[in-house]
Amino acid sequence: MDNKTITITKDDLATAIRALLPAYNVYAPAGEGERLAFAALDESRLGAINLTGSPVIPPKELLFPRSESLYTLDPETGAATVPEIAESTLIFGVRPCDLRGIENLDAAFLEKGYVDSNYAKRRENTTIIALACVTSPYETCFCESMGGDPLAAKGADVLLTETKAGDAFTAAFQTPKGLQVKLLWDSLAMDCGSAPAMTEGSKPAMTEGSKPAMTGQHNTLRVTKPDDLPQRLMAAFDDPHWAVLSEACLGCGTCSYVCPTCYCFDIDRESGAKEITEYRCWDCCMFSDYSRMAGGHNPRPTKKERLRNRYLHKLAYFDERYGMTLCVGCGRCIAKCPASLDITEVIEWGGGAL
Amino acid sequence: MTKNNGNGNAINSSRTPAVAHDCSCESNPLVPTLCEIIGITEETGDVKTFRLRGTDGQKPFSPMPGQLAMISLPRTGEAMFSITSQGEDWIESSIKRVGELTEDLHDLEVGDILGVRGPYGNHFPVEELKGKNLLFVGGGIGLAPIRSLILYVLDHREDYLRLDVLYGSRSFQDLVFKADLFENWPGLCGTHITVDAEESCWDGHVGFVPNYLEEKAFSPDNCVAVICGPPIMIKFCLDKLAAMGFSKENIITTLEMRMKCGIGKCGRCNIGSKYVCLDGPVFTLAELDELPDEK
Repeated sequence: MDNKTITITKDDLATAIRALLPAYNVYAPAGEGERLAFAALDESRLGAINLTGSPVIPPKELLFPRSESLYTLDPETGAATVPEIAESTLIFGVRPCDLRGIENLDAAFLEKGYVDSNYAKRRENTTIIALACVTSPYETCFCESMGGDPLAAKGADVLLTETKAGDAFTAAFQTPKGLQVKLLWDSLAMDCGSAPAMTEGSKPAMTEGSKPAMTGQHNTLRVTKPDDLPQRLMAAFDDPHWAVLSEACLGCGTCSYVCPTCYCFDIDRESGAKEITEYRCWDCCMFSDYSRMAGGHNPRPTKKERLRNRYLHKLAYFDERYGMTLCVGCGRCIAKCPASLDITEVIEWGGGAL
Repeated sequence: MTKNNGNGNAINSSRTPAVAHDCSCESNPLVPTLCEIIGITEETGDVKTFRLRGTDGQKPFSPMPGQLAMISLPRTGEAMFSITSQGEDWIESSIKRVGELTEDLHDLEVGDILGVRGPYGNHFPVEELKGKNLLFVGGGIGLAPIRSLILYVLDHREDYLRLDVLYGSRSFQDLVFKADLFENWPGLCGTHITVDAEESCWDGHVGFVPNYLEEKAFSPDNCVAVICGPPIMIKFCLDKLAAMGFSKENIITTLEMRMKCGIGKCGRCNIGSKYVCLDGPVFTLAELDELPDEK
């Protein structure tokens, strides 16, 4: 018996999530097809939960919103008011690659001198229930090539894994925050009396060496990423191939918006009569004015330089600064790029063809 | 971590990481404090120096030479500027009119309020420069960041050896800090001023900064050159300094890039894996050579 795992049948999933609603603002993938998104759940939305795919917009938006107020200014006095960020949030159904993306954001926002207050507060207040990928959610995902494991999410508070029979999830509680969730579910099991929704320890726990295999569709997209990829790509900084790679790029920014690791942001303001709001929003390094200075000078004047900076940030610069690759192999940018740009081609090129 | 230039002298601009955060924003480093403009100096037709004091009567913060401040107007936005000078209860920034925000800043008057946050970035290596001859090379508004170091060195005069300022601009009218160049600094340090083209109001040296630099033939012996100006001027001056025998470790410059956050998060001021707002703006030429050529 392992008291750190329980099993939840799929029939009882809504009951299990309902039990979390009083304690947290709960977000989970909901909706169908292209409209699948991390949605705020309430009683009326419990039926819309859909764990079969992975939303196009990754769960990073719940820690680092697309747009958020940093502070508001009184136009008369100039005095700033900083919004409170205090609500307990729970994200249900985070895929292992997206959790690694959040670990990238942790490094960017919390390390190297300054702590980003808004991110830090949200992260502190958020509990993450990850969902192992027994089926690859995207045809283009390649997390294993990037050092990921579709069935493990070490940093998650709770890890759900679909059982082999496919009719239930095993829940492993991995952190103190995860044990808070277990407390809520334990009390639920008692409430249910003779028909317990959860069975404690009834399935074997995921332990090192006895991991369950992927039982569903397991993608075969693989890429060879040598350990010295950063050095190899940096040595190719002046290679004319960067121009070839960037030719088709439209500069639309889709790759950044769907990326679980992209964290660059813009700061701007909305000027109203009674209130001025300083906000930040997602930005994309492929936009032409991203690094253009007042007076017109742009250190990355064409899409060649911009694309090179984008891929080098992901595959070399971030590694140099934080010791991890800024790509987790989720495959979204490959699936969604309207011009069919493919980061695995850059990795293959850097790893071998150079 | 220092680099050796072969003469036993080592300069490295990247000291301890900028963990210390000496500003009054309390918790959120992106929130500015309010400052009042207590003085404006018209340097040239398009450069004004703004003297800023906290609306609480206090100095907003005490920067090291070379550090940066994010200055904002509530309805226009914010941008990063070097801090050129400081006093007991004020800091000063010299701002050239080049865009939307600087246009609005130039319309301000004494008594107006603006937002300031900082100080950001590393600073000139004032400790490592002790006991050295210093050559300051500036062009146009590029003298503004260097001036913070010149003023610091003049305040600690006994710690440094021979000082020379070589500065030029397009015309006499475009020379910034004229009071320093022609009244305050001569006698305290060598001043070598040039303008690009002859004009009736100017009887000093005429010619571009790189050529004047070559003409003056400063000795590289125990000397560190600190340079800032337009990219093209820096490029030619670096060639001249190399020809004069200055090693890359003994040439220091300060960079500008577009910035939004100032705290190494927003992503846009990177050169390779370095952020100019955090790891810079001050770099030795040796350090810059290690970075991708995207300046």
